[in-house]
Amino acid sequence: MERRTFLKRGILGGAVLLLGGSLGLGLWPSRVIALPTRALHVLDAKAFQVLVAIASRVVPMPDADPVAIAHAVDEALVRVPSEAQVDINRLLKVFENALPGLILDGRTAPFTRLPSTAQDRVLERWRDSRLVMRRGGYHALRKLCLGAYYGDSKTWKRIQYPGPPDTAGFDFDDSKAGTPAWLTAEAARQKTDGGAAP
Amino acid sequence: MTKLAAVRASSKVIDGSAAASDLDLSADTCVVGSGAGGAFVAATLAEAGVDVLLVEEGGYYTTRDFDMREADTIPKLYQEGMQRTTADLAISVLQGRAVGGTTVVNWTTSFRTPEDVVDLWAKRHHVGGFGYADLVPHYEKVEERLSIHKVDEASMNRNNRKLFDGCKALGWQADTLRRNVYSCMQTGYCGTGCPINAKRSMLVTLVPDALDAGARLLFRCRVDRLDAAGGEIQTARATLLDTEGYAVTGKRATIRAKRFVLSGGAINSPAVLLRSGLDSGGLVGKRTFLHPAIGSVGTYEERIEAFYGAPQSAASHQFARRGAEVGFFLESVPSYPLLMSTAMPGFGATHAERMESFAKNAIHAAITIDGFHDDVPGGVVRLRPSGAPLLDYPIVPALWEAFRFAQKRLAEAQFASGARSVTPLHDPPLVLTQASDVDRFDALPWEPCRVPIFTAHQMGGCAMGDDPKSSVVRSEDLRHHTLKNLFVVDGSVFPTSLGVNPQESIYGLARLMATRMAERR
Repeated sequence: MERRTFLKRGILGGAVLLLGGSLGLGLWPSRVIALPTRALHVLDAKAFQVLVAIASRVVPMPDADPVAIAHAVDEALVRVPSEAQVDINRLLKVFENALPGLILDGRTAPFTRLPSTAQDRVLERWRDSRLVMRRGGYHALRKLCLGAYYGDSKTWKRIQYPGPPDTAGFDFDDSKAGTPAWLTAEAARQKTDGGAAP
Repeated sequence: MTKLAAVRASSKVIDGSAAASDLDLSADTCVVGSGAGGAFVAATLAEAGVDVLLVEEGGYYTTRDFDMREADTIPKLYQEGMQRTTADLAISVLQGRAVGGTTVVNWTTSFRTPEDVVDLWAKRHHVGGFGYADLVPHYEKVEERLSIHKVDEASMNRNNRKLFDGCKALGWQADTLRRNVYSCMQTGYCGTGCPINAKRSMLVTLVPDALDAGARLLFRCRVDRLDAAGGEIQTARATLLDTEGYAVTGKRATIRAKRFVLSGGAINSPAVLLRSGLDSGGLVGKRTFLHPAIGSVGTYEERIEAFYGAPQSAASHQFARRGAEVGFFLESVPSYPLLMSTAMPGFGATHAERMESFAKNAIHAAITIDGFHDDVPGGVVRLRPSGAPLLDYPIVPALWEAFRFAQKRLAEAQFASGARSVTPLHDPPLVLTQASDVDRFDALPWEPCRVPIFTAHQMGGCAMGDDPKSSVVRSEDLRHHTLKNLFVVDGSVFPTSLGVNPQESIYGLARLMATRMAERR
């Protein structure tokens, strides 16, 4: 498929068209690994399950909680445009789906139902794919999971990161010397009114 | 209460997220965007007695929010929570989104626009409205106001020191950088908002100056479109956003003004014009340049602690001019856990092992100089169906050549300063243990989404020039060619990239143009 045609359909939307995926093996249900522990914002229930499964392979450390990571990713995704939110749900379904999995990866089960070594193989196949969409999808999912995990300060000790320095007493405020009259007057007025600025 | 806190709490600051009803506002001049361009325009005009309303999509954060933790600060301070990418997901777009714009999160490197670049704009891009000499007095004022000064070698952190020493050992040009800081304690966390207000960002300088001079600021307000009639912009129509900054509150703002200035940066300013149906015959959003950058991780015997100390204090422009090939410059990248974990290749145990050397890693980037070669046309900003911008940036063969060449030079510099191993960011990774092996990089896959590429410098998309067939705004005052009260003042007006970090180029140009606007009022 030409790059232009591909982009016109939307990167991930194009993938769904290209790979099909709502028939046959695509109907094999996902394994429910762990239910969300709070309301979801962007991901639907099935996409959430797939992401939990991916998170457990991207960050397999004993101190990592794949459900917490999936929730953090779901909450981070509220900041991307609505089209990208649709794309990530589709991407996770394509990742899960056994039909494109059979065609491109030679597997017959949904991602969530594979043993962990086979799941790692799927991630590697996406990483090494000839399709830029699959490679981009791999990196998007990988980075979302890693960012959610390493954003948590409990990981700092393992990577020998001492954390931010103490800045107490260093806060510096000029902008210009002196406080302008309008601000002094306004502050006095607020004090008299006993309230915040209108 | 400190002055900054008093300004923040004053009645001149309107929090769009808190508006109980639709807002109907008017001003002499409405400036859209409070970053490097908008803050200088707002302050310069306000100080000349113009009634200015400054409008910002992001939040108004202060040192209280800048806790140096990525999980807390990145969602607040970056466009799309730092998840913005190009259309094919190949390039990560680092761009600020807050009162003060990207200046709140940049790494403080300050360069004037190189004189030969300004000359080239005149020769090849019909920029006749000003020359380098016109900019100089404004750079001087900017440098004074923002405490821009060259740092000494002794203040370099180990990450920058490795780059500097490696380049010098190889006989390459390298120098310390100029930074816009005052009373800096070298925390290293410029990228998540300066926790002590040492960085002279727009948040603590020109935005307060503008308010001090009488300007008003409306934040959490996203300008959707400008309405044109009779050869002028009549109103700006905007959506108010909630306290988290992404959901709409359902309330709107309508802004009437005699003059509108777009300063949303090289992705968002073109998007406002496109949403308004003002595409200047297809020119808007074209020739968007990114200084696309690749990284190299050098792992040393000793701790580097690339998270502490000024993120950028040294650079090499040895390879900036490569004739027919695309040039690049070398700078350091600070290392925070979240940012570095997503840049490091692999997943699972492999990735975890790579993170074990986190504190011993130096991270350096090669920043390519796009926009000067005919075979490097840049990217295109388009609109998604929702109206959000989408940047499509094809990485052309000339850029891949520059990346491949630069990856070798980065490795050579890191080995020359004592690195035990060097890893490009390709996935799967290739680890080198000696400089003589750098030609193995030729065999790496140089394709989108096989190696992380970053942009922290977005430029172009609303080019200035005196020929309306090739530019959106005229170069004498950055006024739109056909709409007589619309101006664009930000990094989007550059006809090429710059070959240097862009903040001071935007400051100087904005100050010059705002001064002209004030004089011709």
